[in-house]
Amino acid sequence: MSVPRRLLVALAGAEDSALPEQVARVVGPGGPAVEVTLLHVEETGPRELATYHQAVRRGYWPLPRKDAIEHRLANADDEAAAALLTVWHERFAAAMPGIEIAHLVARGRPEQEIVTAAGRLHADAIILCARPRTGPTEPGPRSVGHVARFVIDHSPTPVLLIRVSS
Amino acid sequence: MIAQSSFTPASPLAAAIFLLTIGLVIARPWRLTEAYAALLGAAAMVLAGLVSPNGAVSDVAGNWNVLLFFVGLTGAAAVAERSGLFEALAGTSARLSGGSPRRLLAAVVAAGAIVAALLSNDAAALVLTPVVYVLVARFGLSPLPFVLACTFVADAASIALPVSNPVNVIVSDRLGVSAASLILVLLPAAVASVFALLGCLFLIYRRQLPARAPLVPAANSWASWSGVPRRLMAAFGVAVGAFAVASAFNVPLGPTMAAVWLLLLGIEWTNRRPDRPLDGIGWSLLIFVASMGVLVDGLSSAGITAWLAQIVLGQVRDSPAAVMVVTAFAAAVGSNLVNNLPAAFVFADAVHGAGLSAASAHAAAIGTIIGADLGPNLTPVGSVATLLWFVLLRQRGLEVSTWSYIRVGLIVTPVTILAALGVALLLGVPR
Repeated sequence: MSVPRRLLVALAGAEDSALPEQVARVVGPGGPAVEVTLLHVEETGPRELATYHQAVRRGYWPLPRKDAIEHRLANADDEAAAALLTVWHERFAAAMPGIEIAHLVARGRPEQEIVTAAGRLHADAIILCARPRTGPTEPGPRSVGHVARFVIDHSPTPVLLIRVSS
Repeated sequence: MIAQSSFTPASPLAAAIFLLTIGLVIARPWRLTEAYAALLGAAAMVLAGLVSPNGAVSDVAGNWNVLLFFVGLTGAAAVAERSGLFEALAGTSARLSGGSPRRLLAAVVAAGAIVAALLSNDAAALVLTPVVYVLVARFGLSPLPFVLACTFVADAASIALPVSNPVNVIVSDRLGVSAASLILVLLPAAVASVFALLGCLFLIYRRQLPARAPLVPAANSWASWSGVPRRLMAAFGVAVGAFAVASAFNVPLGPTMAAVWLLLLGIEWTNRRPDRPLDGIGWSLLIFVASMGVLVDGLSSAGITAWLAQIVLGQVRDSPAAVMVVTAFAAAVGSNLVNNLPAAFVFADAVHGAGLSAASAHAAAIGTIIGADLGPNLTPVGSVATLLWFVLLRQRGLEVSTWSYIRVGLIVTPVTILAALGVALLLGVPR
């Protein structure tokens, strides 16, 4: 084993905290041969909804300054992304001792950004949860969310779909 | 039957001017704001001889109550924004949620309903939404459900009181319906529509709200009420009381609202002199409303609103219950075609000129308010106007996943209208 395995872990943030143990069970306990990049994508759609949509829809009302609002919302997203990745960094470091962990924050649509990042980083695999927001889900119809479906459809590299069993 | 005789030779011209004006309001060419588009239309009505110059002046003067009301309302909302009231309210929602996304959604809906009811739907949507966004981001949650909740509750709760939506004042002022008689019906209807909205949101987002928030910010990190000056808090309380008294005694709402604003501004001044105290007054709203009054007068004198009244109310005018249902759905459709303020103006004038009985006119006012307040969320982009804007935004490369909110609007709008109508029919129709 000379080349480290590069794993891209896509995190919405609300995944079950047992995720790193699940990953360790599949890819091994860690060590310096594994490089994990934790990716969080800030969704830009809600931000547009909160600024443009409101301002356009309620055009008669005296508008608060749009650029000031956008700045405030972007800051909040950046802070949340950093905090989330810090939390998950500690969890992965505990479950897979010795691995190298990098952080990556992207903006846009999560499904597209995950696929793009995997290509750019030359990741050996993408790791993500089937339904990251609702935690453990039994296998069955609709148990894979739209982000995971898109990634499986479009990923240039193997995808490890994690189901955290409770 | 007045249908055949209501048109005059001037009807086509009046209709053309009105539709062209709405077209300008929607398309906003040459960076023309909607207020000046409406002003152009009003000028065209006068130049075309459809409204006499004296008539135009008296139209504007006749709207004095509504205009004064808007000055007071937008001013009061600006004082509230500067005072940190919205942050404190959001902080309370965060504390009440205890880190549970479902409880946070309910708390955000409750906060939005309170702001919308007391300070108008637009203040709730424009000022509270960014505050809620920041709050939700700190929990590490996706803000989409919460941002949409703000948008929708701003309108769902805006049928509650006359102050909750500009439409309410326009309709009740034009139809001469007392504020107290409306509140008795519409406040319970608003409660029903807010609960119906919350039910819809829980149903729609049952798969997207995690059991626990990924991040748990410290409880003392949220803005608290101690940041809002005490005397200003007391003044807000006095303002709510003043409104209750004014409504009960049928005092016009315009002067009441203006007095409330001056009181709030005076108390804000004693604490800390605001940099620009007149910032945030909706001057463009005033121009728009004044111009709309002239435009609708032109339509009215050309017999078009009477024709519309005949179409909408022709068969049902003697049954208040049927009048309420029909006006609600017609106003909802109208609000989605043009914006809801023009729709409310046209409908109020049509109903006013239809010579309905007192009970039917009361029912029509309630129906129009429900339809014009709740209807614009059907295409959650509000109206054709905003739909076009969204097309433009997308052409400029902005990623707007329209479907995620169109889906919500298609469910929420009919459900909230039906919930509000159900309560209004129970309480607002004499039997």
